[in-house]
Amino acid sequence: MKKKISMILFVLILGSILTFVLIGVNYYTKPIIEKNEAIKIKSRVMDAFGISYNIDDIEKVFSENVKIETENNVKYYFTENNEISFEITGNGLWGPITGILALKPDLETIKGITLIHQEETPGLGGRIAEKEYLSSFKDKKIIPKLEIVSPGKAIKENEVDGITGATMTSKAFEELINNQAQKYISNLKRN
Amino acid sequence: MPIKFKKLLYVKSVRIIIDRLWRDNPIFSMCLGVCSALAVTNKVENAIAMGVGVTFVLVASSVIISFLRKLISSRIRMIIYMVTISTFVIVVDRLLKAFFPSISEAIGPYIGLIITNCLIMGRADAFAIKNEVRYSALDGLASGIGYSYTLIIISIIREVLAFGSVLGMKVTPEWWTNWVVMAMAPGAFFVLSIFLWITRNMAKIQPEK
Repeated sequence: MKKKISMILFVLILGSILTFVLIGVNYYTKPIIEKNEAIKIKSRVMDAFGISYNIDDIEKVFSENVKIETENNVKYYFTENNEISFEITGNGLWGPITGILALKPDLETIKGITLIHQEETPGLGGRIAEKEYLSSFKDKKIIPKLEIVSPGKAIKENEVDGITGATMTSKAFEELINNQAQKYISNLKRN
Repeated sequence: MPIKFKKLLYVKSVRIIIDRLWRDNPIFSMCLGVCSALAVTNKVENAIAMGVGVTFVLVASSVIISFLRKLISSRIRMIIYMVTISTFVIVVDRLLKAFFPSISEAIGPYIGLIITNCLIMGRADAFAIKNEVRYSALDGLASGIGYSYTLIIISIIREVLAFGSVLGMKVTPEWWTNWVVMAMAPGAFFVLSIFLWITRNMAKIQPEK
């Protein structure tokens, strides 16, 4: 009996000590991680708009060039030229994908797309996060519908090449962009 | 061989290092941690980050468990391993997120899987629980390095074949066609099994009868 109690006590004590270690690490890293996240979103918004910046002056360039307006808890980012961007989220093949979609003032043409988070297979679906790939979305029409077609087959102005070996991810990404764009564009037009 | 050098081979700490790096290598001899060797080795960068992460967790948990080894009763040892290891894994995850956000983004999902890396549990139960702290730390470090260099070799082979690059730098000639299969899980199985075959023969590891 005594042995059992001492075993339980030992687990409890060790558990609490380690928990305190974790609390300490969390307390120490939380502000840094939050700052990283905020900077990351700002840099992705500027990437999507095609605004150039240096790593050291992200905050400054952002506040000079981009205005934020919040409506129904959705953040819209505007530039001086009336270009607009917003966060898009949805499911990829393996996990959630979030990114920033920037549109030209006509609300039909893509200015740029950047990704904040994705969990697709590295080297295959994961290539949707590559700059070279995302830049192929530039100047494509999102109205009535953007289409991701077999690699090398994109001709029309609403067609983008898919990724070799990642058909499912390409499909999921296409659906995500269309769903989110339609949702936010109709919200924007109503106002 | 000079006698001094020969004697060195029988010193326990030297023995530990040589064995973990070669004859008792975690991956090709003990076959521990194979799942992560398959998962993260399609790019050298990922393999290095995973190796560093696992080595850190391995050393830290070995030290703690070895330090507490006289207090841990054998009936609860598994739960103690799990609690200790998962604490250090969370620490690694937070530190990567805070200081190396880009690496954390690349291998983030796999960091959590360090907890289930059988190598760490294996070393804790096979070595740290019955050896002194300094030997356990050395065992953790040497096992970690043995694990990391294997991962790096496999990832170099896979990255060259799959992307024609090493650490993102192009190394293959113009006419090279990338082997998409090498970036995927099947490619990992091919490379790892050929690698096991060659190294096990070189190290003269015989299956136990």
